[in-house]
Amino acid sequence: MSIATTREDFDTSKFFAGIARGIAGALLFALPMLMTMEMWQLGVYMDRTRLLLLLLVNIPLLIVLSDRVGFEETSTWRQAIRDASIAYALGIVSCALILVAMGVIKQDQSAHEIIGMIALQAVPASIGAMLGRSQLGGQSADEGGEGDDDDPVHERETSYAGELFLMAVGALFLNLNVAPTEEMILLSYKMTPWHALVIIAASLAVMHGFVYALSFRGSHDLAEGTPSWHAFVRFTLPGYLIAGLISAYCLWTFHRTDDIGSTQTLMTVVILSFPGAIGAAAARLIL
Amino acid sequence: MTKISNGKNIEPGAPHWIEWITGAVSGIIVIAVIVWIGKDGFMDRDTSPNLHGNVVKMEKRSDGFQVLFEIQNGSSVTASQVKIRGEIREQESVLESSETVLDYVPGHSKVGGGLIFRQNPAGKDVKVRATAFDEP
Repeated sequence: MSIATTREDFDTSKFFAGIARGIAGALLFALPMLMTMEMWQLGVYMDRTRLLLLLLVNIPLLIVLSDRVGFEETSTWRQAIRDASIAYALGIVSCALILVAMGVIKQDQSAHEIIGMIALQAVPASIGAMLGRSQLGGQSADEGGEGDDDDPVHERETSYAGELFLMAVGALFLNLNVAPTEEMILLSYKMTPWHALVIIAASLAVMHGFVYALSFRGSHDLAEGTPSWHAFVRFTLPGYLIAGLISAYCLWTFHRTDDIGSTQTLMTVVILSFPGAIGAAAARLIL
Repeated sequence: MTKISNGKNIEPGAPHWIEWITGAVSGIIVIAVIVWIGKDGFMDRDTSPNLHGNVVKMEKRSDGFQVLFEIQNGSSVTASQVKIRGEIREQESVLESSETVLDYVPGHSKVGGGLIFRQNPAGKDVKVRATAFDEP
């Protein structure tokens, strides 16, 4: 990077670097979905009220995400809203470009199809853009060494609601990747109720292990003298429930629960919550 | 609340009561799901699907007469690649038939579809039934 001569030059290059990081994040997170056939089809046929709801839910999600882990240190809600709209726009533009480049969107398709495909894909891409700018960047020296290991005192607090929100974002992310695929419903049809119970136990164990036992970077510890089941009840169980609710929402959005019996729906939710639980746990470590 | 200090996250020993309430409610819901699925594990003894077809609606459309049907699976076992055959009959002879394939008919669920006929089925005997299926 060239040495900035004036304050104005510096800001411009930082701004474009931020945009580039956003696009990189959108690609990193959304490419698997952009290359999934079911996602193109869903964009064409999915119920427009469900699509609209998903698009609307994404707005507060991006704003809160921007406030917590966003592009820059956002200090006001106005900045958070600004960054959220940039991320959403980056998501829409990058999805449109890639879908055109891959030949999924063609001239002879109706506007209904084209807009549906782009709108659906823009949701994961915009979350990716938001995370991309925070996770791929922000480590350079001129930004005050946020998150630096040799930073002598670096303390901050995450509220309980904040922790649950991060888990929801993590779960949503992994869920959006797999929920549209036919494999999810196929798996639930192949499984017996006993398989489902094993999957529930495995999800809870993996989730708890990820955050508390495996000593990853960013892992969590309890204050001294606290029994370990405390964290299981306070964080892992609510986290699993959140992963389950997000799974159910994704399945409903993608028409995977329509006219399906209650046990069968529950089994699909259980199998989708497995990646969701891992996503939720990983989000607590990373974000 | 979680305190992040030098890259380490520490959960304090004396949390707010709301954390316990959330944990307890979540625990109850998770246990309820386990009990529900476990109950089905004991109760469901079906080994094959039980498919039944119903005609839901008949309507005139641009390319003929559309018969909307519903296939119900009364068993807990899912059927895949379900072949559906619809027939318009009059006095035991088949006037016209039409076929389609449903990807899945999950256990204790119903799946809908449509068959298109050239002649008007109104006033005649219309039968829709499953003729074959695969295991998923």
